[in-house]
Amino acid sequence: MSRLGTQPGERITRTRKISFTFDGRKVEAYEGDTIASALYAAGRRTFSRSFKYHRRRGLMCVAGQCPNCICAVDGAPGARACTEPAREGIQVTHVNAMPSLEFDAMRVTDIAGGPFTPPGFYYKTFIRPRRLWPLYEKVLRNVAGLGKLRHSQPEREWRTEYRRRHADVLVTGGGIAGLQAALAAARLGADVVVADEGPEPGGQQLVQTTPQRVRELAELVREAGVEILTGASSLGYFDGMVPVWQGDTLHQVRARHHVFATGTIEQPLVFAGNDLPGVMLSGGARRLAALYAVSPGRRAVVATTSDRGLDAAAVLRDAGVEIAAVADLRPEVGELGRQLRAAGVPVFPGHTVIAAKGSKTVQSAIIAPVGGGDEHAFDCDLVVVSGGAIPASSLLLQAGAESAYDPARGHFALGALPEGVSAAGEVTGTGSDDAVAASGELAGLGAAHALGLGTDESRARAEELARRLAEPEDAGVVVAPPVSGEGRGKCFACFCEDVTSKDVHLSIEEGYDSIELSKRYTTVTMGPCQGRMCQLPSVRLMAQETGQSLQAVGTTTARPPWVSVPMGILGGRPMEPAKRSAIHNRHRELGATIKWAGDWRRAYDYGDPAAEALAVNQAAGLIDVSTLGKLIVRGPDAGDFLDRLYPNRFSNLKPGRIRYGVISSDAGRIVDDGTICRIDDETFYVTTTSSGAGAVEEWFSWWLADWGQRVSLTDVTQGLGAVNLAGPKAREIMSAVCDIDCSNEAFAYLDGKQARIAGVQCLILRIGFVGEVGYEIHFPSAYGEHIWDALMEAGRPHGLKPFGLEPQRILRLQKMHILVGQDTDSESTPFAAAMPWIVKLDKEQDFIGKWALEHYSHQAPAAELVGFTMANGDVPTEGAVVVDEAGTPAGQVTSSRHSPVLGRTIGLAWVPEALAHDGAKITISDEGRTLSAEIQTKPFYDPDGEVLRS
Amino acid sequence: MNLDFLSAGAAAADGAVAHTPMEAKARAAGARFELRDGWNVAHAYAAGAEEEARAAARTAGWADVSHLGKLELQGPPEELDRIASECGAELRLGEAGRAGDAWWCRLTTTRALVVCEARVSDTLRTQLAQASAGAERVTVTEVTTNFAAMTLVGPQAREVFARFCALDLRPGVTPVRALRPGSIARQPGILIREAEDRYLFLFGWATGEYVWSVVADAGEHLGARPIGVDALTALPKAGGVGAERETEETLSA
Amino acid sequence: MSFLLECPNCGVREVTDFGFGGEVSARPKQRPSFRELNTYNYFRRNVAGVQREWWFHRSGCRAWFIAERDTTTNEVKFTALPGADEPAGEAAKAATAAGGDLL
Repeated sequence: MSRLGTQPGERITRTRKISFTFDGRKVEAYEGDTIASALYAAGRRTFSRSFKYHRRRGLMCVAGQCPNCICAVDGAPGARACTEPAREGIQVTHVNAMPSLEFDAMRVTDIAGGPFTPPGFYYKTFIRPRRLWPLYEKVLRNVAGLGKLRHSQPEREWRTEYRRRHADVLVTGGGIAGLQAALAAARLGADVVVADEGPEPGGQQLVQTTPQRVRELAELVREAGVEILTGASSLGYFDGMVPVWQGDTLHQVRARHHVFATGTIEQPLVFAGNDLPGVMLSGGARRLAALYAVSPGRRAVVATTSDRGLDAAAVLRDAGVEIAAVADLRPEVGELGRQLRAAGVPVFPGHTVIAAKGSKTVQSAIIAPVGGGDEHAFDCDLVVVSGGAIPASSLLLQAGAESAYDPARGHFALGALPEGVSAAGEVTGTGSDDAVAASGELAGLGAAHALGLGTDESRARAEELARRLAEPEDAGVVVAPPVSGEGRGKCFACFCEDVTSKDVHLSIEEGYDSIELSKRYTTVTMGPCQGRMCQLPSVRLMAQETGQSLQAVGTTTARPPWVSVPMGILGGRPMEPAKRSAIHNRHRELGATIKWAGDWRRAYDYGDPAAEALAVNQAAGLIDVSTLGKLIVRGPDAGDFLDRLYPNRFSNLKPGRIRYGVISSDAGRIVDDGTICRIDDETFYVTTTSSGAGAVEEWFSWWLADWGQRVSLTDVTQGLGAVNLAGPKAREIMSAVCDIDCSNEAFAYLDGKQARIAGVQCLILRIGFVGEVGYEIHFPSAYGEHIWDALMEAGRPHGLKPFGLEPQRILRLQKMHILVGQDTDSESTPFAAAMPWIVKLDKEQDFIGKWALEHYSHQAPAAELVGFTMANGDVPTEGAVVVDEAGTPAGQVTSSRHSPVLGRTIGLAWVPEALAHDGAKITISDEGRTLSAEIQTKPFYDPDGEVLRS
Repeated sequence: MNLDFLSAGAAAADGAVAHTPMEAKARAAGARFELRDGWNVAHAYAAGAEEEARAAARTAGWADVSHLGKLELQGPPEELDRIASECGAELRLGEAGRAGDAWWCRLTTTRALVVCEARVSDTLRTQLAQASAGAERVTVTEVTTNFAAMTLVGPQAREVFARFCALDLRPGVTPVRALRPGSIARQPGILIREAEDRYLFLFGWATGEYVWSVVADAGEHLGARPIGVDALTALPKAGGVGAERETEETLSA
Repeated sequence: MSFLLECPNCGVREVTDFGFGGEVSARPKQRPSFRELNTYNYFRRNVAGVQREWWFHRSGCRAWFIAERDTTTNEVKFTALPGADEPAGEAAKAATAAGGDLL
C-alpha cells in the first residue's frame, strides 16, 4: 500500500488495518478505505470492463457517479467500488469480463467489431434466421450486462428495513448549503432530516484543505436536533415523499418542505481515448488524494474549462504529482494560471486534450488548440479532466422544477421551482463558498417560514440574504467543443452503454433526431450513471449535428431512481396481509391443504376432496365458512334499502325467514350474491360471497351516502365465525348440540333461528348451498374452536367429517349453484344465468339495475348458463371452449368436476341459446382434445330440492 | 330474534371461554394465560410482569388486548353527542375521550366506537342501550370480535410503528389521546395514543396472526418483546394524566 | 402516485389509505332511454383537469366523501362529506359551463 503523508481531511484510520479479497486475491486496506481506494493504493488501475466493447475502465469520478468501478460484493452485483466501504473479509469480484479482468476474450468486439456493433446492432444483425434468436439471445446476455444476479439469497440478507419518517423539512445533500439550510430551519423549530450520500456530511468541503470547518458545522446541525442520515441516497421524488436508501434501510421520508442541495456533477470531456484508465475527473483525483491519501498518478496532464482544473493541478502538485501540462480551454491565463506558471507548470490557454493514448492505462496525452493547430504530446500516467459542472437537478426536475439552457454556464440551469420545494447551493448555480452557504441558509429560513415558523429577525435575515444572492456571480466557464479528436480513436459520450460520438451521429442519420428517441435507440443516459456523465455531452452532440440550439434539443425526462438501487431495497418488509378464520389452527392440526382464497388463508381440502364430498352426501360434513361477508342492516328503512339494492323483494320477508339475493349493477350485471335473514322488523342479516365482502359493504354504504335513508350498516365479517353443518345426519347432530327443536316442522328450510350451541349464542340459518339438509351457524369469532370442537365431538358417532373448499365446489356444482365470478363474468345478467325468477320487475319502487333488466327481460340472451354432463370420465378444463359445428368458439366451460356421488362429470357452461335445452349435445375443445357433452338444465343432484327441504 | 349472537364475554357465553386471534402466537412466545371476564388472557410471560414492564420501558413491548370490549354506536350526530354526555363522555373527531374505563372514539359524524375494559363491557352495553332507547335512529352494536387489539408501549414504540405504518405519530401531530383511523400494516386500523409512549390500536380480528407477525418482525429488531397485560398496569396508564386521576377516583370511591 | 388526501373525518392520509370511486355522475332521476342508460353506465367525462370524484376511506373511518382533484397534477382542491358541506368547486362550475352532465 503506497500512501501519501497524512492529509488533513483523510478518512482512513492508519492504525487499523483490514483486508478483503478482489477476484480471490488478498487486498490490504485501512479502516475508512473504500474498495477502490485500497485497490488503487495497491496498484490496480483496471476496475471493470465496459458494457459492449469490453474496454478497460478505471476510476474516474471516485464519487459513485460513473459506471467505471461497478463490481460485485459477496456475490451481489451493482456495487460501486469507489463508494463501497472496504470491510474485513468481503469478497469482491469484477463483472463483465471473461475469463478475467486482465484478459477479456470479448475485447474482440472493440478491436474487430467496431463497424459491426453500431447502436441497435442486435436488432440489425441477429435477426436472421429467426429461429436462432433464442441462441443469439443467450450469447448476448452472457457477453453484455453488469454482473450476474444470484438465483437465491439468504432469507434476511437484502431484506430492507422499511422506515417511515415524517418531517417538516427534508434536506437532500449534506454539503455546506444543505447543512446551513438544516441549521437555519431547525433553529426556527422545524423537524429536519438531512440525507447525505457520503459516509459523513460535508460534501465537497471535505476534500478542501480545511475540512474541520464543515465538520464543526455538522456538529451544530446535530445539536440543533436534526437527524442526519449518512450513506443515504434520495432515490426520487413522489408527490412530497422521498425514499431515502441507507444501507439496508429504506426511509420513506414524507416532508412538508423539501430542500435539495444536491450540488453539481463534474463533466468529462469527450475526446479520443477518454475512457482509458488514468483519465480521471479532477474531483476524483482530488478525492483519492485528500480522503484516502492515495496518489492518483505520478505525472499528469490537466485539461479544464474552468478554475476547477487549475485548483486540482495546484493541489495535486502539492501532493507530489508532477504536472506535465495544463490545457485550459479559456483563451486568457487567469490568476490561478499565473500562479501555476510561476511554480513552473506549463499552462496552455485555449488548448484542450484531444487524445489519451496507452495500452492498459494512459501513457501519453495530446493537447492542441481548440480550433486546431500545433499539438503537444506529453508522457503521463494521469489525465485530469474537468469539463465544467452541471447542476445535479434530477430530483428537483422530478419534483416539477423547470430548467433551461444557460449559455453563460454551458449547462441546463434551474428555472422556476414548485411550491414546497427549494434548491440551495451549487445546484442553483452559485459558486463561491460564501454564496453557497448563504443560499443554504436562505433555503432553510424559507422552508421554516413556509411552515409558519420564524421571527421578524429571521425574515429580515432572509431578505438580506436574498439581496446578497441576487448579485450575479461570474461563472468563469467556457464551453468545451462537443467532441475533440474524433478520428483518432473512440470518443465516448456515454461510458455506461459504450455509446461513442459516432454512434450519436449515426442514430441521428437514421432518423432518431430527438433526444428522447436517440436515448431509446442508443441507450445513452439509460445506464447506471443515469445521465450524470452523458446527458449534456449527448445533448451537445445532437445540437451540433442537427443545428438546433441546446434549448431546442432539451434534456431527457428526469426519472427515479436517481441512484442505482438493488430491487430488494424497494421490496420492503414482506407484509402480505392474510386473514385467517378463528378455526384456522384446527385446520392446520387436521393437516388441511391451506391455500389463498382472496385475502384469506383457507382449508382447500383435508387430503381427499372426493371422500369429503361423499361424506356430506352420505353422512355429514362440516365446513368453515367464516370468510363469508356478513353485514347487519338496521333501521326503520332497512327493508326499503334492500329492496332498492336487490332485484328481488326483502321488505316482505318475515322475521326468522331467509331469502336468496343477487346484487346487480345498474347495467343489470351480476355483482354478488348471498342470503339475507330477517332478524326483526328493522334488522336484516346479509351474507355475501367471501371475495365480495369488502366490495358489497362499500357498495351499500356508497348508495346509502347518496340516498340517506334511516339505515345503519355494520360489517361483522371478521366479528363472526361461521360453519356449515350439512348432510343426512346433520339434524341429529344439531339436535345433540343445541337447545332448540331442530325437527323439519319447527326448523324448516330457509328458517333462521337463534340458539345456544355449547353455551354460545349463535344464529343458525337453514340453507342448502351444498344440497343437503344444512345449518349455517354464525357465532362470535372468539368461540371458533369451541363451536368447531363441540360439533365435531357431537358428530363423531354419525360419521361427521370436515370438508374443505374443493369438496364444497363439487357439492354446489351438483346443485348448479353458481359461484359469482367463476360462473359469471362482468357481462352476466340474472336472465342469462338462468335466474329470471329472482328479478321482480313488478316491484313498485326503483332498484339498482331495474332499467337495464327491464330491457334484457324482453331480449333472449345470446348465451345462457346451463349444466352439462359427460359419461366417459373426461373432465374438461375450466375455461375450455364450447365450439359449434364449424369449430367456431360459441361458449365456454366455467366449472367442471367429477361428482363422486353421481359417478360422472358435471359442469356449467355458457352455450348459445339454441343449445340451452335438456338433451342438447355440445362439443368442447379443450387444449387439443375434442369432447362431447350433454346439456342438463336442472340440478344434477336432488333436482326438485326434496332432500334440501326434508 | 335479536343480535345477542354478536356478543362475547362472560355474560354472552354460558361457560364457554373466549379466545383472541393472537393466542397461538402469544403461546408460542411463552405467554401464561388466565381466565378473565370470560376471556383467555395472556397476562404474563416467563419473565413476569415487573420485568416485562421494565424491559418495555427501556425499548418497547406489545400486548394482545383483543379482549377489550367494543361497542358501535350509530345515529344522528346530535343523538350521539347526547348519549355520550349521558355517559359522562365526549365524542370528537380525531380525539379519543376517556370515561368510565372506556375510550370514546368518534369515527364519523354518525358513527362512534367505544372501546372499554372487558369487565365493564356488559354494563356499558346496557347503559348505551338505555340511553338510546327512545331514539329512533340510534343503533348500538356489539363489535368486540370485529377488532383484534394490541397495545404497543415504550420509548421505541414510535420507531416500531414507523416500520409498518405511515401514520404521522410525532407528538406535535399525534398528541396524547389522539384518535387516528388509518392503514396499519396495510390493513384498516384505528389507533389511539393512550399516553406518552403508549398506543392502542385495533385491526380486523381475522388479521390477528398476521399483524402479530408484522409487529414481532419489526419490533424484535429494535429490542421489543411481547408482554402480558399485567405488565401494562405497571406502565403509563391509558388515558394519560387525566384518565389516571379518574381511575384513582373510581378506585377510591 | 403517492399524493395525500384529507379525509373529512380522519385528516390527512396517504392516498393508498383510500379507495377511488370514480368521477361523480348523477343517476338518472327517472326512467332513462336505453341510450341514456348506456351513457350513464359506460361513459365517463374523463377530464384532463379538475374533476369531482368519490373517494372511500377504506383503511380508516370507512366513509365515502367527495374530492375535487386535478387529474393532470393530482392536486386536491378540496375534500368534503357528500351533501350539505360540499363546496361548489371548479369541476361543478366547469361541468355547468360545458352544458351540464353527459346525460
